[in-house]
Amino acid sequence: MKRLLLYVGVAAVAALALGLAAGCGGGTSSSPSPLASGASHEPVTLTVWHPWTVKSEKQGFATAVKGFETQYPWIKLNIVAFPNSDEFDQTLMKNINAGTAPDVAISFGPDYVGKYAADGLWQDLKPYMEADSFSMSEFAPAALSYTSYQGKQVALPVLTDAYGLYYNKTMFAKAGLSDPPKTMSELMDYAKKLTVRDQNGDIKVAGFVPLNAFNELGPSDLAHAWGAKWFDENDKPVLAGDPGWAAALTWQKQLVDWYGKNAITKFYAAWVDKEWTPDQAFETGHVAMIWDGEWRTKMIANDKAAIDYATAPFPAADDHPEMYGSGRVGGTICGIPRGAKNPEAAWLLVKYMSTDTDFLVALANMLGNVPTTKASAESPDLQIPAQMKTFIAVWNSPGSLFQPPLQSIGATYADFLNNYDDKWVQGKGDDLQAGLQKVDQDIANELSMGQAP
Amino acid sequence: MQTAIPRRSEAERRRARRRSAVRKYGVVLLLLAPWIVGFTVFTLGPMLLSLYWSFCHYDMVNAPRWIGLANFKFMFGLGTIEGLPPGAHDPYYWLSVRNTLWIIAFGVPLRIVFGMLTAMLLTRPKRGVNAYRTLFYAPSMVPRVATALVFVYLLNPVSGPINRLIDAIPGLSAPLWFFDPAWAKPALLIMGLWGIGDAIVIYLAGLLNVPRDLYEAIAIEGANTWQRFRHVTLPMITPVIFFTLIMGIIDGFQYFDQAYVAGNAASGQNAVLGQPQGSLLFYGLWLYEKAFRSFQMGYASAMAWMLFIATMACTVVLLLTSRRWVHYGGGGQ
Repeated sequence: MKRLLLYVGVAAVAALALGLAAGCGGGTSSSPSPLASGASHEPVTLTVWHPWTVKSEKQGFATAVKGFETQYPWIKLNIVAFPNSDEFDQTLMKNINAGTAPDVAISFGPDYVGKYAADGLWQDLKPYMEADSFSMSEFAPAALSYTSYQGKQVALPVLTDAYGLYYNKTMFAKAGLSDPPKTMSELMDYAKKLTVRDQNGDIKVAGFVPLNAFNELGPSDLAHAWGAKWFDENDKPVLAGDPGWAAALTWQKQLVDWYGKNAITKFYAAWVDKEWTPDQAFETGHVAMIWDGEWRTKMIANDKAAIDYATAPFPAADDHPEMYGSGRVGGTICGIPRGAKNPEAAWLLVKYMSTDTDFLVALANMLGNVPTTKASAESPDLQIPAQMKTFIAVWNSPGSLFQPPLQSIGATYADFLNNYDDKWVQGKGDDLQAGLQKVDQDIANELSMGQAP
Repeated sequence: MQTAIPRRSEAERRRARRRSAVRKYGVVLLLLAPWIVGFTVFTLGPMLLSLYWSFCHYDMVNAPRWIGLANFKFMFGLGTIEGLPPGAHDPYYWLSVRNTLWIIAFGVPLRIVFGMLTAMLLTRPKRGVNAYRTLFYAPSMVPRVATALVFVYLLNPVSGPINRLIDAIPGLSAPLWFFDPAWAKPALLIMGLWGIGDAIVIYLAGLLNVPRDLYEAIAIEGANTWQRFRHVTLPMITPVIFFTLIMGIIDGFQYFDQAYVAGNAASGQNAVLGQPQGSLLFYGLWLYEKAFRSFQMGYASAMAWMLFIATMACTVVLLLTSRRWVHYGGGGQ
């Protein structure tokens, strides 16, 4: 019983603190007045929170951002590294409510940008941008899909992630293949050709694992190949209405059935938890093709993985060739939380971290992420493997976007699709159309519960 | 010289008594103060607050807004909720309830039976008793998170030693454990049985407390082993069974850590709670998801209160029925 009380209690205490804080949370409503050039420069200390946890990354960031202090000598940075990046956004929200927010926040995930914008937790940067003649055309068009919500530009990208197809060239040559697949039917065909089984029928090398959460893949990434949309213009979920979803999930199940449910699940179980280790399935030659983020190029180099590989955009559906070259993007963002003590100076730092070429190049060289501005992507100082070019191109493709789309309640609504997809591929999803209608309904209810009653 | 002892009037004595009572209770209150303050601030206050929130829309950012019974309506799919389509309900609520009842229905009896049997075995050895007892108790000192991680490794369908062993037997096909919705909960049961040391210790104490003369008496009457167990041991340890039953059920309602860690560790990421296919989505996990990932603290508070009511109801029912089957007294109690 004690634990039960504790259970209810702890949750409540945490929220109590927030609730009380909500009342007194520093809502700086004064309109921002960007630091005019030539204004007198009182010494300012900016507090910056970032989520990098690895020692080398923490040091790398601190070194790279030193250029800012050189450029603006009256501003000192107080850099705070967070011990647990998974709790970064939750902790940040608590502090914003308590009026103890940092001046600048750097977050890994755009998942909460919708909430930051809808609840005014991060400030709209537009007034600063207008005063500075700064426009979002500095970045690829896809940047808008995860930094702006309901017309509020609350964040800017600091490098990004972009996803695409990695393929093992040695295995391709062995199977008599040369170019990467460009259509989904080619992908299926190649996957079958590249798969190697042992005498028991167990999969030794999988051509392509189409399962949700096999490393970075999600059903929405497959559906993107068909140009499928989550919501209509009224924010109503349309997974059952957009034929792309049914096509993608059918494609996925066909490949799963070809492998055999048991065989592919066993393979999944053997490799899924190795994603962040040098034993990762692609790095050790156990999958011939994989959907992954650009950072894998850096990891392959760091792990000295003995594979000859290339990268390409993810294939597009046969009847949607226009989707080829695009894919999911979205990564680290920065912004100015509500209640920031020095918002004008904070803007200078936000602008610096999102656009300063030296800073972006230094960070990209260290982290292996996609440089977000044209200048940084073309910088001669950028040391990236040739395979990274695919991801820079995906980032710049007009069809690329962040998924699942921003919503004011965060991104957990996507779990309804992922959960259904897990069942569907195992043959327990009943009628696909009815299943997708149920997903639509569940998502709609979740959005309404998060906002309406 | 004689000093007259001043005689106090009745009223004075009463005042003095009251003063001493105030002093006495004042001291008690003073000593209790830390607990009273702690209880009020950290337990009672938050509980009442969460009761209030269970009737509110509260996203932990904006001020709570009173919405009456909407959270409960959404939970059970009852009636209409303003702003939501008719029939709107939480699609995973009953799934989480079913999963939780499953783990209670199988986990608690297994724990009782295995705890009791192991304890009975442990009363047997003549030598090295303490070593055995330590050995059996030790696993329950391992934190649940660590246990879960170890079992995810042990039960990995491909690299885990248990499946390698099973697969080596011709004709047998090992289960996929945490990757198969039919085997994920049984895997948690196995994990739970590994850590029944605390139950064993309690049963052992209960068994050793059964008076010898009862055994002697029933032996004279010519009882066999089963009869000895059925008519002496079992009735005498019903208080212990009762205790482990109630604690097991309360623990079962709050089942969280093992499922959370095992589900995430098996998949290698925080992809979807309760995988595979929602089979490990227990009440506590869904509540956590609602409160801290979806920011529906109002709804999560409503869920917490339903959990509290269910746990309370089970406990009360058990307490009421206990009079019929729990034997107190004897054994010097």
